[in-house]
Order: sequence, then C-alpha cells, then structure tokens
Amino acid sequence: MLDDPRGPAAISRRDLLRRSALGMGALGLASILGEDGALAADAAPGGFLSSKAPHFPGKAKRVVHFFLNGGPSQVDTFDPKPALARYEGKPIPINLATERKTGAAFPSPFKFRRYGESGLEISELFARTAEHADDIAVIRSMVAQVPNHEPSLMLMNCGDSVLPRPSVGAWVLYGLGTENQNLPGFVAMCPGGFPIKDAENWGSGFLPGVYQGTFVDPKNREVDKLIENVRSPHASRAAQRRQLDLLRAMDEEHRRERSDPRLEARIQSFETAFRMQMEAADAFDVDREPQLIRDLYGDTVHGRQTLIARRLLERGVRYVQLWHGAGQPWDDHANIAANHRAHAADIDGPIAALIADLKQRGMFEDTLVVWGGEFGRTPTVELDGGGKANLGRDHNHYGFSVWMAGGGIKGGTVHGATDEFGFKAVEDPTSVHDLHATILHLLGFDHERLTYRYAGRDFRLTDVEGRVVRSILA
Amino acid sequence: MVEIHPNHLGLGEGRPIEVPSAALSRRERGRGSAPLWLALSLAPLAAPALADDAFEAEVRPVLVEHCQGCHGPEKQKGGLRVDARSALVEGGDSGPAVEPGDPEKSLLIEAVRQAGDLKMPPKGKLTPDQVAALDRWVAAGAPWPDDKAPAVAGRKEAWSKHWAFQPVADPPVPSTSDASWNRTPVDAFIRARLDAAGLPPSPEADRRTLIRRLAYDLTGLPPTIDEVRAFVADESPDAYEKLVDRLLASKAYGEHWGRRWLDVARYSDTKGYVYAREERFLVPAPAYRDWVVRAFNDDMPYDRFLVAQIAADRASPDEPAQLAAMGFLTVGRRFLGVSHDVIDDRIDVVGRGTMGLTVACARCHDHKFDPIPTADYYALYGVFMNVTERLTRVGDGPLEGQAREEFEAELAKRMEAMRRGMAESRDEAAQRARGKVVDYLLAQLDPSQVLQEGFDIVVGPDDMIPAYARRWAAYLEKRAKADDPVFRPWRRLAAIPEADFPARAAAALAEPSPPGTPAINPKVASAFATPPATIGEAAERYARLFAEVDEQWDEARKADPAATSLPDPDAEALRLVLYADDSPCVVPDEPIVSTELYFPTSTIDAMWKLQNEVEALLLQPNAPPFAVAVVDRAELREPRVFRRGSPANPGDEVPRRFLKVVAGPDAKPFQDGGGRLEMARAIVAPTNPLTPRVWVNRIWAGHFGSGLVRTPSDFGLRAEPPSHPELLDWLASRLVQGGWSTKAIHRLIVLSATYRQRSGPPGDAAVRAKADEVDPENRLLGRMNPHRLTFEEFRDSMLAASGDLDPRMGGRAAPLIDGAPNRRRTLYGLIDRQFLAGVYRTFDFANPDLHTPSRSETTVPQQALFALNHPFVADRARALAESLPKDDPAAAVARLYERIHRREPTPAQREAAVAFVAAAASEAEPPPPPETLAWSYGHGPVDPTKGPDPAAFAPLPHFDGKGWGGGPRWPDPKLGWARITADGGHPGDDLARSIYRRWTSPIRGEVAVTSTLVHEAEPGDGVRAWLVHNRMGVLKTAAVHNGCEDFSATVVVEPGDTIDFVVDVRDNLSHDDHLWAPTIRAVAAEPSTPSAWDARRDFNGPAPRPLDAWGQLAQVLLMSNEFMFVD
Repeated sequence: MLDDPRGPAAISRRDLLRRSALGMGALGLASILGEDGALAADAAPGGFLSSKAPHFPGKAKRVVHFFLNGGPSQVDTFDPKPALARYEGKPIPINLATERKTGAAFPSPFKFRRYGESGLEISELFARTAEHADDIAVIRSMVAQVPNHEPSLMLMNCGDSVLPRPSVGAWVLYGLGTENQNLPGFVAMCPGGFPIKDAENWGSGFLPGVYQGTFVDPKNREVDKLIENVRSPHASRAAQRRQLDLLRAMDEEHRRERSDPRLEARIQSFETAFRMQMEAADAFDVDREPQLIRDLYGDTVHGRQTLIARRLLERGVRYVQLWHGAGQPWDDHANIAANHRAHAADIDGPIAALIADLKQRGMFEDTLVVWGGEFGRTPTVELDGGGKANLGRDHNHYGFSVWMAGGGIKGGTVHGATDEFGFKAVEDPTSVHDLHATILHLLGFDHERLTYRYAGRDFRLTDVEGRVVRSILA
Repeated sequence: MVEIHPNHLGLGEGRPIEVPSAALSRRERGRGSAPLWLALSLAPLAAPALADDAFEAEVRPVLVEHCQGCHGPEKQKGGLRVDARSALVEGGDSGPAVEPGDPEKSLLIEAVRQAGDLKMPPKGKLTPDQVAALDRWVAAGAPWPDDKAPAVAGRKEAWSKHWAFQPVADPPVPSTSDASWNRTPVDAFIRARLDAAGLPPSPEADRRTLIRRLAYDLTGLPPTIDEVRAFVADESPDAYEKLVDRLLASKAYGEHWGRRWLDVARYSDTKGYVYAREERFLVPAPAYRDWVVRAFNDDMPYDRFLVAQIAADRASPDEPAQLAAMGFLTVGRRFLGVSHDVIDDRIDVVGRGTMGLTVACARCHDHKFDPIPTADYYALYGVFMNVTERLTRVGDGPLEGQAREEFEAELAKRMEAMRRGMAESRDEAAQRARGKVVDYLLAQLDPSQVLQEGFDIVVGPDDMIPAYARRWAAYLEKRAKADDPVFRPWRRLAAIPEADFPARAAAALAEPSPPGTPAINPKVASAFATPPATIGEAAERYARLFAEVDEQWDEARKADPAATSLPDPDAEALRLVLYADDSPCVVPDEPIVSTELYFPTSTIDAMWKLQNEVEALLLQPNAPPFAVAVVDRAELREPRVFRRGSPANPGDEVPRRFLKVVAGPDAKPFQDGGGRLEMARAIVAPTNPLTPRVWVNRIWAGHFGSGLVRTPSDFGLRAEPPSHPELLDWLASRLVQGGWSTKAIHRLIVLSATYRQRSGPPGDAAVRAKADEVDPENRLLGRMNPHRLTFEEFRDSMLAASGDLDPRMGGRAAPLIDGAPNRRRTLYGLIDRQFLAGVYRTFDFANPDLHTPSRSETTVPQQALFALNHPFVADRARALAESLPKDDPAAAVARLYERIHRREPTPAQREAAVAFVAAAASEAEPPPPPETLAWSYGHGPVDPTKGPDPAAFAPLPHFDGKGWGGGPRWPDPKLGWARITADGGHPGDDLARSIYRRWTSPIRGEVAVTSTLVHEAEPGDGVRAWLVHNRMGVLKTAAVHNGCEDFSATVVVEPGDTIDFVVDVRDNLSHDDHLWAPTIRAVAAEPSTPSAWDARRDFNGPAPRPLDAWGQLAQVLLMSNEFMFVD
C-alpha cells in the first residue's frame, strides 16, 4: 500500500470501488461491523486510518514520547561527567559556539548513582525512573544541528529544521493506521497550552490532515474540552440516536440510485462518531481508574496526563506525545539546581509509574517509550550580559542524551559517548535522523521505504539520511 | 496560432548522440554542475581508442561492485555517479573524478589509493590489482565502450520525448460515432475515446441537477429555490447558456475560483511561526486575496494574471493597485527569516504553481527524473535573492472625514518613526563595521567559520556580525573580478598558506601588476612597502589606512558639511570602500525584514517594534489596503550553486536565466534588473508549452474532480500521462488563442454534453459491467463525477440554507468559527497557518504552509462530530426551524426541503419527517429541574457602608464545568479571581468585583434560609459576607476569618424577589477561598413545589439550548449526503 505512488488514498478508493461493485451496499451495515459494533479495520471510512501492516513485524506497536521541551541537561540527568568537578570554575579546553556566551565548567549539582544489574548511571533527578534502569537504553551521543529551540524542535519532531514536514507521529499513523477508529490515532498532550512552534510539532505537513496529532490540554478535566465537538450541547443521546436513524434512512434512499463509495463511507462515519462520544469520554476519564492506579501515577497534572496516555495506548491509540508544559519549561538558563529538580520532580514518578503499569499489563514489550528534549545543555555555565554566571546552562546541540525503553529495546545499555565534559558527541555520534530511523525500525519500517509522493519527490521522515542504531536493539 | 518551439532540448532530428565529455572545454568541465544533457547540443568528437576487453574485465566490475551502490542511478553521494564516462569526467561536488590520461590528477585514483584525505570505498580498500587496473584505465584515456553507454542516454531520450515538454499542438477535432451528441468540440475528444472503448456516454442530467451542479461549480454556492424553479420552467433553447453566463458574471464566481487559486498560492493571513518580536499577521494578505477574486471576476487574461503576481512592479508600474498581486510571492511562510528557505518556497510556488515543474527538487542535486539541473534552480534563485520588499498602499479604506485624517496622521507619524529609526540604526551599524575592518578581513581566511543564516546567536553590539562577514566576502569577490587595485595586495597575501607566509609575502607583493591594469593605490602601496610578518598584520595595515582616511573625512565634513568626497583621489578611493552605497560597511537601505541580520540583537528587536507599530495600524479592520511589493535590490548579486543545497558550501556562479527545459540550451541570461519580469514573461511565453497546459488542466479538474492529468502540479516524467492528450492540447491552444481567457475555457467545458451527463451508474446492466471493467475510475468520462462539498462549500451552503449568509466582499479576515459570530463566506475566514483551527484540518482544507495541488478528501468521524455537535450547525438548524409554519407540519417539511435541498420532498419523505417531528416532540428532553432555575451566579460591587447593590448584579460570563468565573483563565484579566462553585467560591480582587450567588423566588410565601460560611485560612484578613434581600436590603453581614459564621434567616418573598449571598475581599486580596452553600426551605408557599432548594445540589452551568423537534429535523437534513454531495 505504501508503495503506491499516489499514496494510500488511491488504493483505498479503488478498494472501495471494487467492494461497492461487489455490492457491499446491499450487504448492509451489519456485515461490515465487527462484533463490538466497531468498524472492521479495512472498512474504515476512506481507509486512511485503518490499521495497516508495516514492512516487517515490528517489536513495538505503539509509542509514548516524553518530550522535555526546552532541552534537559545531559550532564545532570543521564550522562555523568566527573571531570566537570575537577575543572570547577575553570575554563574547559572545548569551546563551541552556542546561542549565548558561557564560561567555566559547571559541575552537576546532582548526584549520580549506578542502578540495576546493568549499573546504568543516572542522576538523582530520575531516581524513580532509575528503578527501571535495566530496561532503558541511553543514547548519549545525540547530535542536532543548531542550538536554537525552533529548528531543533522541528528537527526532532518532523525531521527537518525549517521546512514544514510531517511529524514522526503523523508518519507512524500514515504507516500503521490506528487500532481504534473511535479515538484520534495520534495525541499530543501539553499541560497549559502549546510548546514553542505550536501545532507544527505534531503537524501532518504534506500528508493528509487526518494524520495530524490531536492536541489535548490535560489541565482541562472535562472531556468536551479535551476533544473537539465530542459532546452535544443541544441534544440528548436518545435524540441523537433518533436523528441518526432518520439520517440513515434518508442517506440509504439517496444512495440507492448512486454508486459512489464515498456515500457509504460517510454514512458509516456518523455511526462511528456516535460511538466516539462515549469512547472518548471514557478514555480520558482517569477517575474510572482504581484508586491504587491513580495513586501510582500521582494526582498531579503530569500524573494524570501520563495515566491518560496509558488509557489511550491500551485502547489502540498509536502515538502519544507527552509534553512537559507550555513554552519551554526545561530551558534552564539560570538556577538549574532548583529548576531542573522541580521539572524532574513533575515527571520522574509518572514515568516510573507508566513503565511499571505497562509491565503489569503485558504492554511494555510492545510499547516504545521515548524520553528526550530537542537538544541538551552546555557543561559550562551561562554568563549574562555583564559576564556574571547565572548558574544555568545554555543550549547545546553538539551532544545530548535521549533514552528509549520497551518494545524492541535492549535495556541497560548505553550507546555512544560525549567528550569528558559532556559537550560534544565523540563516540558514535547519532543524528536525529538516526533516532527516527531506529524508531521506525522498531515499529517494523524500513525508513527508506516509508515514503509519500509529494511535489515530485518521494519524501521520507529521514530525508536522505538515517542509520538504525543497532546496538540498542534487543 | 501557438508558435512551435523547434526543440526545447536542443536535439536535432533523429537519435540523440552521446558525446564524451572530454569534448567539453576545461572551463565548462570546471563547472561541476553543467548538466549532462547540455552536451548533446555539441558536435560529436571521437572518444579515445577503446580497449573493451580490459574495461569489461577489470574496470567495470570494480565500479559496479564497489562504487555504484553509492554513486549510481539510485544514489549519487557527493553528486557523483560512476556508471558513465561522462559522469566521471564531469564529476561531483569535489570536481571531476577522472582526468582522462592523467591518473595523478584524477580524484578517483587518489581516493582508491587511500593515501590522502579522500578514501574510497569508505569501508575497506580495493586490492592493489584493482587499483592498478583503474590506474591503467585512466592513463589510457578512460575509454568506455560506446554500446555500453549507460541509462543516461535513455534518460535524455525520455526527456526529449516527454509529452509535457512537446510544443502545444492544435489537433483537429476528431470525428465520432454520433456527432449530434456533441455540443462543444470538447465532446468530440471525449466521445472518441469512449467509442474506442466501446462505451456510450450517459444521458443528460435533469434540470434541477444541472443547475445545482453548475451553481456549485462556478460559484461554490447552491442556487436559490426560485432560481431552480425558473430554470426548470425556462423552455427557451438557450436556457442553459443563459444560466452559465449569469453564473460566470456573478461576483460569487471570483470568490469560488479565486479560492482555488489561493490553494495554489499557499494563502495564509499569518506568517507562520515568528519570534515574539515580529508581528505575526501578514499585512498584504487580504489585499492579495481580494486582487485574486477581482482578477477572476474581471476575467483578467491568465498571462497577465501570472505576470502581475510575479512582477507587477515592472509590468504595470503605473498601476499601484496591481502591486497587491505580488502577495503570490509574499504570503508564504517566513521561516524565521532564513532567506534561503523563503526563496525556496517562492521557487516552488512559481515552478509547480504555474508550470507543473518540481523545480525545488533541484535544490540539492540535479532533479532525479526531470531535466532540471541544480544550475537551473540557482538561476532562478538568483532572481529571488535580488529582491527586497516595499510596503505600498493599493487603495482607499472605508474611513472618511476626520477619522480618516486622524488615521493618516497617525500612520505618517509611525512611518516616519520607523524610517528614522531604521536610518539611525543603519548609520550606527555602518560606523561600528568601519571600526572592525581587521575582524572582517581576517574572517575571510576561513569562510567555514562564518556562521550561516538561521543559526541565531545572541549578538552584542561589539561582536562580529556574520552577515557583515558575508557582505565583505561578496564585496571582495566583486573587487577581485575587477582586479581592483586597493585590495590587490590583500588578495595576493591571503592566497598564501599560513606556514609559508613569511617566506612568500615579499615575493607576492613584488609581483608586477598585469599590464593594462590600474596600478596599486599609492596609499596601499606605501603601507605595503615592507612585507607584513603575518596576514593579521596585513589586515591591521589596511585597518589603519581606512582609519586615517575616515579621520580625514570627519575633518573634511567638519570644515564643509556639504562635502561629498575627499580631494585626494587615492584617499577618496579608500573612503569609498567605507562609504559608497555598495560599501561592505553599509547596510542596504531596505526594510528590517531583509536586513535584520546586520544588526545586534537589541537593535533588531527595536526595529521590529517600530515596524510593528506601523503594521498594527494597518491591521485594523478599517485600515486602507496595503500590499507588500517585491522590488529589485539596489545592488544585484550573482547566484552560486549551493552544493548539496548548503549555503555553507558554495559552488560555481550561475547566471540568472530561465529553465533550460523550457528556454532551450541557449537560455540567455536575464538582462533587465534582477530578471523577475523576464522570468514572468518566459513563463507565459508562447513557446512555453507547460503554462497553458497546466492551467487548462486545473480548470478541468475544478469541473470534473480530477484533471486530464491527475497530478496538476507535476507534469514531469513521473506524472501519469494525460487521459486525453489531444484534448489537453486543444484546450491549451484555445486558451492562448482566446487571449488567455479563463471564462472562455469554462464555457467550452460546462457547455459540453460531457459535462451535462448524469453522474449515476449506467442504467443498462451490461454497460455498467463493462464500464466497471474497462474504466472503473471513470477516466473516460462516460458519466459525470459526483462532487463532495469542500469545507467552504459546506459551510457557505449551511449559511445559505438558513438564510443568513453575509454577502459582503473583501477586507480583513475574521475568525470563522470561534469568535464573534461570522456569517461571511468561508473565503473571508481567518487563515492562521500557525494555529489553523481544527475544523479546517478536519475538513481537508488546503494546507496553508505549502502549495496545494489538490485537496485530500477524507471521511472521518470528526467531520460527523462537527455536524452533530458544533453550535454553528445547531444555530443554522435553529434559524431554519424558527422560520417554519409549524401549525402546518406538511408545509413546514416542504419549506425545509426547499431551503436545504432546493426541491420538494416526496410524499414518503414528508411522512417520515412529520413522524420524526411528532416522535421527537413527544419525547422532548426533560426540562431541567425547576430548583436549578432559581439560582444564578454573578458579580457586582459592594459599598463597605451600604452593602451590595442587587440592581448592579451582572452574570458571571464563563462556566468551566466546575464553576462560574470571568473567563477560561483564572484569574480572568477583567474579573480577576471571582469564582462561584457548588460549595463556595472566591470573591473578585476588589470590592467592585464581589461575587453574588442569587436565589430568585418562584413562590409567594415565607422561606427559611440556612447557611454557614466557612473561611479556613489563617493568612490575610478573610472575607466579608452579606445576606441581601432585593426589597428589604441587607439581612445580615459579617466578616469571617479563619472561622465560620451562621447566615440564616426567615424571609417573606414574592415571585421574582431575590436573595443574594454576597462575598467581598474585605481590605485585601489574600486567601479568600471560602465555603458557603446555602439551603432554602419553603415554610409556607404558593405554589407548593418546589419547596426546597440546595445550592450544592442545584448548582448548574449555562442553561442548555436544546434543539426542538423541528431544529433536530433541520439538522438531519443539513447532515445528509444529499446536502453534502452534488450529482
């Protein structure tokens, strides 16, 4: 399907034509509804979002991506650098251009420890996450292109620094479809509003609009604030059912003299929408979880959004991105000791809870957990205009850490390394394209073959680059 | 007649001839990017003597096995392929790979020997035998057997034969089986193919179907019921023609087809993501949109239409209103100011939008499939890199009289402030740059260290500014071409490798100037009378010279402020380096949008602020329309190829010129300024076969759902060929011969019998089976394709059905769905590409980020959710229901069908509708419990001495699901912390914003109020509460701080009396959360129910506005497929 030059639309349209030629309409609704009343996958309206097989069986079936927007510091989280302590207050022998001026070596204010059998070194900021150290593979040699938020967010999320391109989630949805037609297949949650670059981070670029991420602000607690138009302000469910019955009768009569498969598809879409109102309300309502589970995640906005993520993944949603908050919370140019501690305190517990919860539900081995920001931070201290140290760190795209766990990942591993100060990736530098190639590989795709024809070119997430990071594969 | 271009590819008759590239001169070969196919036009020369056996046995296997994986037809790493001799000789990004006859100078040999930096293959090493074989082969002149020439020749042949590149023919109209069926010549072309396939056309659709189809197709709106009736009843033979002409003449035509063009033009009202310092709305967007609508309505000839959008500043300099057309170039994304990407976007919209050429594919490498070499991309790049922008008034606004004068005065003031601020900042920047000559000269020694655009750093006033370093580079390069005598010593010294400097500096300086060139500037010569020890010292000597001259200039101006030059010509020559308009120290006199990189960060922010002041005024709804004209820069620069698309890796210079695939191999460099007008004229030149084909195909697609070519913006080799190539050419010929009239093409199409066919499946089962088999996608058009309403058509039709479509044209856009009620056509809805409202995406609206050739068409439940649940749809249904004669259900149903479906219902449909209404009415929604209706939630003032004022009660406007407050944010910008929940609340920030929970009595009698207010916090001073009766006044008041207080009373009430439970902040706003949920019980009352109220139990949000039974019926019709699809 993905190899069809005109994209999946062409094929599904033809399929529908063929089906209607075989008289699908005459068979009626019941035959294309599954047992639970949901649409059978290949009869989904338009076929755009129906569940599809990848190039080869992937180890992961779904993705949850913790996005620490603003850029978490690698030397304070997953890339310990004792050398910084030795150089404290002194310049280090590496001088790379970043956005602002920085000064002397700035040792991490946080303690690192070895965890698990693997002895993976993790800072106290993520002590709860560290309980799962043996499941985590850290790439310590990530490299982006420039030390600025906007291009780096675009690169990390959409594979290109500048040009409007589809996001990773949109590509995955295009490739795999979703397993639950009653929920959006790709959900981006960000408490309190948009991150920098807004909805471009989960946009669908030149892919059809249905692949775009659906934005949810988990600060809202009411379902109709979470999903657009999911609740009627003007009709009860019984009244809607009555309306839809009349609508169906009218549409069936209208369809009788016509042969356009789109008519059938649209009839179905109303039935799906009717069910979606219930299912979405259910999926986003964490109050339906047992107290024990709610306590595990914690009654905070991050706890809640992580728990919503699990409920969505469990219901077949393909890709969930969890942002830390509006703007760029992790962008700690100043007072990193207090600020990074506070940000980490928000999410360390929920991340650990999610991994534990996925494990107990048997979902961990086919769910890919991704953690990281758009870049890292300098090991040197940032200076303000007057040359005074702010006790924070500037942006750093030369070397930073991202980790993955779950489906297809070899836990307790480290890939690549930065220099002794943590400034620049020196061993196995890993580009964002490499990371994307690896994510796609874990989902069952050859990243060079997951393409979409647009503007005369077969575009792909990894542009003309990308190598799968094999050392972290299970 | 369409003029026929002899041959766009420069091929003669017959077979193309492969020419060994050795035939190219050395200079031509040096241009790494010279396209292979250019060689075709050169005379053939003999290749070196062949040694086929050796080549096949020893050389080709090595190349295939070890090199071709990365340097073959699939991939061309480094721009190199090794499957053709010509490709090797031409080389890649690093230059020629093979120098025939000279292994020592051949990169290929250097690479496989792996002795230097370049080591190939990347993994492993060839055996010494293999290296030796390659060496021998190159030494022998790199012979390559002729008949084994690779696929390259095939490509060239494919290019030369590709249908889209052939001249537009004017084919004869074919004869067909049944000439009487044909209504316009279009039909003959369609019928001929149907005949060939053995398929009959479908019968003509009925009149009602035809008028609905035509109205949507030409105007995007449904016909009115009266128009339907009149057309159905019109028995005159030209009824259909009259209808077509009326619709083509309606203003709605331009709105509908204008919007189609805006898809091509990636129209948006905002710039996309911008830094906070910059205004995010595009001032010129509405003027552009309105220009496009007008152009369609006026049937502006399409060639003029295109030329104006690319070069109105040059094509019609005396018509300022035409400058609005250039929004075509400027409404694209701004890419955070990175000019390379802005230019790329413009090349893309021009290439695909007008000619169906994916030129932007050639940004990084020669086009993989089409004859568009990278050099062609950069030839166009050169056109756009030489432009800047100019804010220009293009018409009058609605303001009159004094309001207008005030506006104009304010605008003039802000414009002047911007001009002055810009001028001062330019002067400051130039003065700083004059003091940094050493830095900028030394920066030239290693250009790779100069940061590229898009790598934003925070630049302080004393930092070196990368844009200046790049400006110096361009300046020195230009000087070098002229062999300028000021910088001649610098050039010679800078060419010496650092280690050799002391040894070679003296000789370099002593080298005599070439004969006939001007002598070195004597001041420079004396400064370099002795050789400098380092290049740094050389830079410092220059800096000192310039500083001296600058001082002289200061003094000269002190003596005579009107001085324009220095008297000493040698000093003057140096002064000009610092002060001339093209000086590397001067910031070009252009707006901040194209000069911001010359300034330190703080200045950039200040400049944007001044420009924002101007734009904020122009973005007001009453402002006159302004366009942003694209104009040529004062100094023109020559483009270079960026290898692999990277500006950090500049390659050869290319002239600004048109695409060779269209203009032929001898495309002349553009002569007129930056070349934009010449480019625009080349696009619409009669010899360009692409432009008219692309346009008639877009028109065709607008009528039939898909084009004769189904990739309307890609006519390249990978495009599917046209379904009816002769028809495409015939229409293209008519377009050009008819003076590029778009409406004439519409008429040819919509008057045809083809267009008037029924859209349903063939009635005859055998025909149907055959059509399903041979033409399942209806490419042959044996019937009409039904059309699903686009988002605009859907929304506009709902407004038309409910009778409240606001027909005002033009002007600034306003939010469509979420905002003040907007009943204008969807075309005028705000398109915010950064925060595109979800509904646009849900309904497959054109992506405003990119040129959109055709919209995707999805069917997803979110569309159904919008129709079911969005208040916009419910409001339309409500308005429809209100207008019905409900005492006569049958007539009401008939009226509803007329307004929504423009027809009468069948008896069965009428019955079903009446039955639905009866059932819906009898099972009406249960009314809300009467207890809840007694409560309301508001705010108002408290006078500390007199108490609250019940008459000043104002409802709290926003309910968030849990409580009432000022708005979605808490605190609200206006009402602050004011909030009332089921259990209690929080007063607003001061006494003027106290909260009122109100009970309104539905009974006459006596009620007992029972309540306790609890305030739990220690800090602050607590709250003050009031129990107030509207007629009796304050019943009780008390301050409560970290404690509780009883507020109970027995009160006599009349219906309509109110009891208010009011809380204020007391003396300060701090810890004012409290609990207060009163209950009220009727002691003696009439009527007797309800008899008890409970603030907590009865707490509710806004009263729902349920749709009544007729409203529900109207909504069903609005959601129906009959409404959504056009037959």
